[in-house]
Amino acid sequence: MKTVFEIAQAVQAGTLTAREVVEESLQKIKELNPQINAFVEVWPEEALQRAEEIDARRASGEKLGPLAGVPIGIKDNILYKGHKATCCSKMLAGYVAPYSATVVEKLLAADAVIVGRTNMDEFAMGSSNQTSVYGPVHNPIDFDRVPGGSSGGSAAAVAAGMVPAALGTDTGGSVRQPASFCGIVGIKPGYGRISRFGVVAFSSSADQVGVLASDVKGAALVLETLCGRDENDSTSLENEVPAFSQNFTSDLKGLKVGMPKGFLDNLGEEVKEKILASAEKMKSLGAEIVEVDIPHAKYSAPCYYIITSAEASSNLGRFDGLRYGYNDAKAADLNASYESNRSAFGEEVKKRIIIGATALKSENFEECYLQAVKVRELIKKDFEKAFEKVDIILTPTSPTTAFHLGEHKDNPLAVYLADLYTCQGNMGGLAGISIPCGEDKLGLPVGLQLYGPILQEEKILNAAYLFEKGL
Amino acid sequence: MRLDNNHATTCARMLKITLTEKEAEKYQAELQDLFAWVKQLSEVDVSQVQDSAVTRAAYLRPDVAVTDENLAQQLVGAFSEQEGHCAKVKKVL
Repeated sequence: MKTVFEIAQAVQAGTLTAREVVEESLQKIKELNPQINAFVEVWPEEALQRAEEIDARRASGEKLGPLAGVPIGIKDNILYKGHKATCCSKMLAGYVAPYSATVVEKLLAADAVIVGRTNMDEFAMGSSNQTSVYGPVHNPIDFDRVPGGSSGGSAAAVAAGMVPAALGTDTGGSVRQPASFCGIVGIKPGYGRISRFGVVAFSSSADQVGVLASDVKGAALVLETLCGRDENDSTSLENEVPAFSQNFTSDLKGLKVGMPKGFLDNLGEEVKEKILASAEKMKSLGAEIVEVDIPHAKYSAPCYYIITSAEASSNLGRFDGLRYGYNDAKAADLNASYESNRSAFGEEVKKRIIIGATALKSENFEECYLQAVKVRELIKKDFEKAFEKVDIILTPTSPTTAFHLGEHKDNPLAVYLADLYTCQGNMGGLAGISIPCGEDKLGLPVGLQLYGPILQEEKILNAAYLFEKGL
Repeated sequence: MRLDNNHATTCARMLKITLTEKEAEKYQAELQDLFAWVKQLSEVDVSQVQDSAVTRAAYLRPDVAVTDENLAQQLVGAFSEQEGHCAKVKKVL
């Protein structure tokens, strides 16, 4: 399938119709989705009708939007009016969104075509897409392996060529890690860049909408369409949004790239080798590599699990089965009803709610939750200090390539630790991008992660774009 | 921080979540491992972090009433049981 940019340009110019593009996308989904399980629902008639409307508007001389005719998948925790949104949970089975998320409104205003909702870890909790009520997603590169998570369906859909871009959400790496596992591009902008109105909340101080795309330029184009202040989300930022997709330079001369001290210590040889080669590549593009110190980054994963679980236990309190979602009609009274309905959450979600409530209990609050929040401030400060010295920071996205389905099942801590490189971006509120930087001996992609300060997404996009071009 | 032997079960009960015996056993072991791992945070000196840094100011938008009758009906329609404009719940006692 063509890239986001190629499709939009061709549809705007009339050398390709939106209908042709959407038909190709739907055909690919029909062929590959039974094996991959990336989409949990597809809206073919509606997508084709919308494509025809876009073609008709072009034929009548109307100037089309920047994403004209681009088929896009949306993660199942993003509301689209009149369509189901379930967070891949039994808890929200049958829930139909009464309004659209701001990101959906923006996609539609830009003339994109939303073709369906994508699979995910239940309520975005997980990093392998194995906790979905619709079953696991299979990595398009090796069906026996996970695609990463929690936006595993979005990543797999792009990697399999079903769509050139998809929306995900990223609370601890849920856009960047699946992008890394599937060999595509995934970007999470700085905290507050994109409105979260209409996105089901997991952890409000860390959640961000992100973009998965087949190339950097496409990711940049979708990203600039989504960013900006929204009155319906008080955490969204007022700041001007640059035209990310138009601001690429020809080299990286003068760019200082930080490599954190000790970051490569516990990596496997193959990933380490690719990351070191990537740093060399950055140098050949004109960048200067500088060592930086981020001493508290090693605490990011425990901080992340305490803070996000605490916020989840509060955010998910609203799911009692009365207002919406699963309701046990046979329950004898209100208390029995609550208990039965809330047991519709899956195993990982229940566990995180319990972790969060434990951390917030009055006797644990100071030692556990407050301590994590304070350590998070130190992580943020470390990054602020590092960004006084360098423009961007380079790390691996994940310490490993995609693992087998079912692997680590009995060792959740091993999975939590694997989020180390990505969750520090959410603890620091940073902008982060994952781009492919090679493959291991088995042909599985390795992801390179670039971090930038909160409102400087253009710096990481530019470096990623030139890196991708030179690969 | 110490978790008592029945922590997973008692905490779940407080949260109105029912656990099977098998789940309770599994969660208890996993919670113990997790909080032992999290304990490393206590080695960090946070004495220089101001409390004001962790209590953010809230930015409120103007409170503008939404008058879309249709939307109100759709929202009430999302309740699992309704009667007119009211959500119907089971008896409390």
